[in-house]
Formats: sequence, C-alpha cells, structure tokens
Amino acid sequence: MDAATLMRHDLPGRRPRLFIALPLAALAVAALSLLLGSAGLDLEMIQALRGPRVAAAAGVGALLALSGLAMQALLRNPLADPYVLGTSGGAAVGALLALMLGVTMALGAAAGALVAGALLVLLARRALAASDDASPRLILSGAMLAAVFGALATLLLTLTPDQRLRGAIFWLVGDLSGADHASATLLAALLFSLALRVRHRGIDRLLLGTEAAHLLGEPVRRLRLELLVAASLAAGLAVASAGAIGFVGLVVPQALRLAGVQRTRDLAWLAPVGGAALLMAADLLSRSVATPIELPVGAVMALLGAPVFIFFLARGGR
Amino acid sequence: MSAPLIETRALTLAAAGRTLVDALDWQAEIGQRWCVIGRNAAGKSSLLRALAGVGEAALHRAGQVCWLGRDSHAWPAADAASVRAFLPQQSSDRFPACVRRLLELSVARPRYAALGLLTALDAAGLAERNVLELSGGERQRVALAQCAVQGAPLMLLDEPVAFQDPAHQLQVAQWFGGLSEHALVISAHDVNWIARAATHVLALLPDGRCEQGRADDMLQTERLARVYGCAWATVDSAAGRFWIAQ
Repeated sequence: MDAATLMRHDLPGRRPRLFIALPLAALAVAALSLLLGSAGLDLEMIQALRGPRVAAAAGVGALLALSGLAMQALLRNPLADPYVLGTSGGAAVGALLALMLGVTMALGAAAGALVAGALLVLLARRALAASDDASPRLILSGAMLAAVFGALATLLLTLTPDQRLRGAIFWLVGDLSGADHASATLLAALLFSLALRVRHRGIDRLLLGTEAAHLLGEPVRRLRLELLVAASLAAGLAVASAGAIGFVGLVVPQALRLAGVQRTRDLAWLAPVGGAALLMAADLLSRSVATPIELPVGAVMALLGAPVFIFFLARGGR
Repeated sequence: MSAPLIETRALTLAAAGRTLVDALDWQAEIGQRWCVIGRNAAGKSSLLRALAGVGEAALHRAGQVCWLGRDSHAWPAADAASVRAFLPQQSSDRFPACVRRLLELSVARPRYAALGLLTALDAAGLAERNVLELSGGERQRVALAQCAVQGAPLMLLDEPVAFQDPAHQLQVAQWFGGLSEHALVISAHDVNWIARAATHVLALLPDGRCEQGRADDMLQTERLARVYGCAWATVDSAAGRFWIAQ
C-alpha cells in the first residue's frame, strides 16, 4: 500500500451496501405500514390515519436514534441513551406537568428533556471535566435521574384526574396511536441529522476523549453544549410526539457500530434512517399482531429487538 | 532574537501539599530532545501536562508556560494545536475506530506523510486495524504517529516507550533522532535509552528542585544517585556506555 492509498481511501468500516440497503429497508417498511392495517387498502384511511401515524413513527424513531448518537458522543459512552439517562423521563414528567397545567405538552416535554439533560451534566460535571474514564459515574448519575423522573411521573399519574389518566399513561408507555406533529418531527430529525453532519469531525475527535479533542484544537466546551442541547431537544420532541419510548436510541447507533459504521458523518445519516425503519416496523407489528387490540409500541419493540440484538452480540459480529 | 519554542518562567507545581516543581526556569529549542527524569510521583507527568497547557484539577500552579513567548493559556485551542502535540501516558479508547481514521482525525488536512510515519514506527501494517484490538505497544506507536501528524513543532511525550519491546525502543529513539525540525520533551525511566535518545536532560529532584543540562553532563552517577535515591555504576564497552542501578 502506498502513501496515497493510505489517506485517500475511505475506511474499511464504511459499508457502501448499508448506505443503499438501509434506506431501501426503511422505504419498504414504510410502504408495508401504509398498506397493511385493520381496514385494509382504503385510500382515505391511508391519508387520514395511517399516513400521519407512519410519518410520526419515522420521525420519532429518527429523533430517538439521533438523540442516542449525540448522547453517546457527549458522554463518550456507547451505552448512553436518552431513556437510560433520564432525558426521556424528564420529558415525560414535563409533558405530564404541562397536561395538568393546561400548557402545550410538546413544550413541556422539550423543557423537561432540557432540564434532565442539564441536571445530568451538572451532576456529572466533575466527571465531565476530568479528562477521561468518568463514565461509570455519569451513567450512574443518569440512572438515578431516570429513577427520580420515573418516580415523579408515577406520582403525577396518581394525581391525574381519572378522565385524563389514559392520556397520561400514554406518555409513560410510548404509543403512536395519538401521535401528531408528524411533519414537525420529520423536519426536526432532518435538521438534527444535518447539524451532526456539519460537526462530524469535531464529534469524531470528541470520541477520542475530551482532552484529546482539546489538544487537537476543538472547542470542546461549546461542542459538548451543542450536543447536550441537540440530544435533549431531539429526545424531548420525540417524547412530546409519542411518549417515552426506549431502546431505539441505544440500539440503533450500537447496531450500526457493530456493522462497522464508525464515523459520525455516516452515522448522522444512517442512524435516523435505521431508527425510523425500526420504529415503523415495531408500530406495524404492534397494531397488526393482535387486531383489534393495539399493543404499546415500546413494549413490542423491546420484546422483539432485545433478543435479536443479544443474538448479534453473542455472535460477536463487529 | 526570537522567543524560544517553549519556555517556563518560575513555574511551580504543587499537589497534595508537596512541591513537585519549584520555580523552574527552562527553555527548549527546535532540534533539542529533552528527557525529563525523576522518581515515581516526582511530577514528570504533571510537568509535561503543564507544558502542554492541559489542566489538572488537583494541581496548584504558579508561574508561566510560554510557547513562542506567549503564555500557553492565551493561545486559542485551534492555534495551540498547531504548536504543540501531547502524548498522554495511556490512551483511553472506548469506541472502535480504524487506525487510519485516528491519524486522519489528528491532522489539520489529510496529508500523505502519514504512511511514512507509520513505517518509521513499524506500524504500517496497523493502518487498517481496529484501535480497540491493538496491543499496548502497538497502540503507543500509533499514538506517537498521531502526535507527529498533528504537525506541531513541539512534541510533549509522556513515557513514549513504556510499552515498547527493546527493538521498538531502539527504533523510536532513532526516529526521534531524525526529527530535526521539532523540539521534543520526553519523560522516561530507562537511563540507557535516555542516553541514546536525548540531547538534554531535565531532572526533577524529590524536593522540587530541578537540574538541567546536556545529557552527557547530566547522566553522571552522583547526580543519578540524587535523582533516584540509589547508587549507580557505569560500564564502558565497545557498544557504548551502560548505566546500572545498584
């Protein structure tokens, strides 16, 4: 191998086939989701109900995957995810509070996610400032936050008047049946994807370590603040639209990394596509497995997705 | 006369109530290879970090570190990266990445010099490997290459050969010898390796005092005894002089 090949060629980790296959898979899932359903092939039904729902699933899945990606870079931990670290929980509490106060729930969810994200960074700021290897503390702080927000949400639920209870539970379980703002989530996902794409080099350097990134000349503090805001807003918007759904943010970036996609430049595009495909597929299953009963999409996804993921982990694919 | 590439002015470092470095005035120029020597916990790493402009929470610090005559803290991060590169004692990789990608991330612009570097460090075969799967010595040579491709004239290297086998220690020393457009500040323990690799030595004594000078003057047995707290003997042979701790 000569010098030119060394720097010119791209990584072996880049998988060209995945760049075509994953969007195709997402499109196929979207088509199936639009065509299949309890009412069969009914154009009006598709336009009025299934279309917005499928779009919301795609947008929310994409947002969650992007949020997970940003959090993993922010905390420099491949296990970070908005659900595990309490951001989704904060968003759910924010949404419940908004519901009780009669404020827009989307606003409450976004604010709750930001508060949770800021709390996380505040709690772990010593861990973040110390150059490296602070992640156990960070993850633990996040897990505690998630526990607190989970408890708060439960408390709020008991205070919620009965006629609003079903709507409130919706925020905790994660459900796409009432999802709205589909175009807003899709647009937001596109914007966040572009933002990560713009910052991809800095984020890749951040993954080497905050000190390493600083030594290479990156404005580490600003970059991490941007990541925090992006991750929290994306999680907040996703929760505002479909409730607290776990699994996507953790699993999609992880699965892509296992498949050999390592660069933020590629992940910023593939992760949202993968997240959209995953959530659309889970939603399709959740509403077609036990018709006319709709199963909660978050539960369906984790029930099917976790074993599959464990299988791949055990096979040691990388 | 232009300002030295790096210079300390009354630099004092203290940690846990102990003075590590006491009012150090020192400078290094292009073409010099300084080795920092001292006992364990004498403050070699803290000094190198201070020289690199990297903070340490538990460290009390006074005095100045200047690059090209300007206080290191006054440099914007992006400009600082073009002046100094720093090799930490250990890498803490957490995400898989290809070695070649690591090198790409360490340069301002992709340059073709990287393969030559990897070859000089016997690491050309590692270019396609995942960084998480490298051995300690391989990872360290890659980290050295990362430092070098950054293109900064000042290279601060914390124990760059700690994980290297004898052949690679020698290879790294020879590579250092060829870096005529850099100033190197290296911490190391192996006196025989230092005698090969360094032009100058900066010794940290247990009380925080520092002694500095040309390597052949500094590597006297009496001085080494004061630095390390053990007796030293030398053996002269056809292959050169050897230092033996006793």
